[in-house]
Amino acid sequence: MMLAVSSLEKRFGGLVALKDVHFSVTPGQVKAVIGPNGAGKTTLFNLIAGTLKPTAGDIRLDGETIAGLPAPRIGMAGVARTFQQPQVFASLTILENAMLGGHRYHRGGFLACGLGLKHTKREEDKLRERAEQWLAFAGIADIAHRNASELPLGQQRYVEIARAMATGSKLILMDEPAAGLDDTETRELADMVRAISDTGTTVLLIDHHMDFVMSLADEVLVLNFGQRLAEGTPHEIQKSQLVIDAYLGIDDDA
Amino acid sequence: MSVFAKLNNHPVRRNTIQVGLFLISMLLVPVIFGPGYYLNMMIFIAVLALPALGLSLLSGLAGQLAISHGAFFAIGAYGSAILSTRAGVNPVLSTLLAQLLVIAIAAGIGAVVLRLRSHYLAIATLSFAIIVELVIEEWRGMTGGMQGMLGIPPIGLFGHEASSDIQFYYIYWPVTALMLLFALNLSSSRIGRALRAIREGEPVVSSLGIHAAEYKTGIYVVSSVFAGVGGALYAHFVGFVTPATGSIMFAIEIIMVLALGGFDRLWGALVGVALITLLNEYALGFADYKKIILGVTLIAVMLVFPRGLLPGLIDLVRNRRFARTA
Repeated sequence: MMLAVSSLEKRFGGLVALKDVHFSVTPGQVKAVIGPNGAGKTTLFNLIAGTLKPTAGDIRLDGETIAGLPAPRIGMAGVARTFQQPQVFASLTILENAMLGGHRYHRGGFLACGLGLKHTKREEDKLRERAEQWLAFAGIADIAHRNASELPLGQQRYVEIARAMATGSKLILMDEPAAGLDDTETRELADMVRAISDTGTTVLLIDHHMDFVMSLADEVLVLNFGQRLAEGTPHEIQKSQLVIDAYLGIDDDA
Repeated sequence: MSVFAKLNNHPVRRNTIQVGLFLISMLLVPVIFGPGYYLNMMIFIAVLALPALGLSLLSGLAGQLAISHGAFFAIGAYGSAILSTRAGVNPVLSTLLAQLLVIAIAAGIGAVVLRLRSHYLAIATLSFAIIVELVIEEWRGMTGGMQGMLGIPPIGLFGHEASSDIQFYYIYWPVTALMLLFALNLSSSRIGRALRAIREGEPVVSSLGIHAAEYKTGIYVVSSVFAGVGGALYAHFVGFVTPATGSIMFAIEIIMVLALGGFDRLWGALVGVALITLLNEYALGFADYKKIILGVTLIAVMLVFPRGLLPGLIDLVRNRRFARTA
């Protein structure tokens, strides 16, 4: 299993945000998490990425427990993410944003960088090369030197994707990547997610766009009120009466 | 590829050229203008530029505000003064040794405080600055208490001690230029990139597997050493230290320097220090109104150039140029 989540629980004081959630993601899979607003989807991502600590339960990445580790440790273990509101570093260029993805693979401490030692230049060149490769992958190599703040929302997502891919992670968490995109942009994004999957990277994504999720995902996990409601192939989920009652049939904006 | 584009891909070379040209012009100043009282002022600018550069690295680059740069200036000054006067250590060596103390203390504070988010650092470093002031005032046997310490030996090596302003000028400006070069290199390296990213959003930086707390502690230590070296150079130039050296007021003045010169450019720290030093000097005639003159100038600059004088002027020149070509 790439990712195995068992008996996961998260409480905020008296509020139970997630309860007894269990599911797994196999290597190379595209798995989607759906559910009505407040179902606990983003909380789930924050638990996996280490932004929040679980109250109970376990999260394993390739068999190793990552539950409760600090976020940087989980990042180093091979989990990258993109955010619901794109979080690009606005005062940095797009290239620099992507370079931060590969940052941890390269050496050069405070002293070496301040003194401008020779090897820091070599490391920097390698780091830039790696970033440029992923900018090309995300289709934004031609605007590498622009400031990230100048980009429209849709392109900021591609900066996030390039940055996340440059981390060389085995699992990428994408929180509503299609939010705020029009139909054409959503289709382009679906192609991007397939391309990510083709590199061998496992994808776990949250989204509300049903067409997007159903056409893309190998498997779907449905959350409702913080609990696992159903899990299966898109076909099974679309037919499940439980899911239709809780979500698909009622929430017509989905 | 143009020369400029090439230099952008080679920031160390670009920084070295810039600082080299700057240092050469600074070294030519006494040759052109001869000796004079202005040299004394220029030496102070070289010394005070160091804590300002340090704070610019911490606040401008990494977005963390500390009020301890006065305290580390004092630790550098007293540390080197005590070693050189009481233990007879050579002033160059004592300047370096004093930095070990600065590094140890800054790393300790940083490791504890920098795990928390930004404003805790300001509060914790303010408390630290108060403690340092108290220790300096009360530890009379070591620091001379309120009287301070006199007769600190001037900087020098192998029995040659600097004895005139011009000698200090030619020793101190190269040191300041080298430290400026270090700061510029750091800022344009991968470390600088990570720090600028931390300034914008620590959670995102963490998600990339980068330990933000380590980088923040690192830059806090480097930044404090800049202040500590400044303090030691100060002590070996003026020859005495008192509790007023590196007080909390001094720390706040350093923050004002950056507000004037601009937080987001290291060169702005030099511009700010030069401005404050000149203002201090020429407002002397109106001693009673000095603080008012400083305050009004600061407010005026902030109104016209909210990001500071240097970035403001650069923007102005750029806009002019665009206006012309348009």
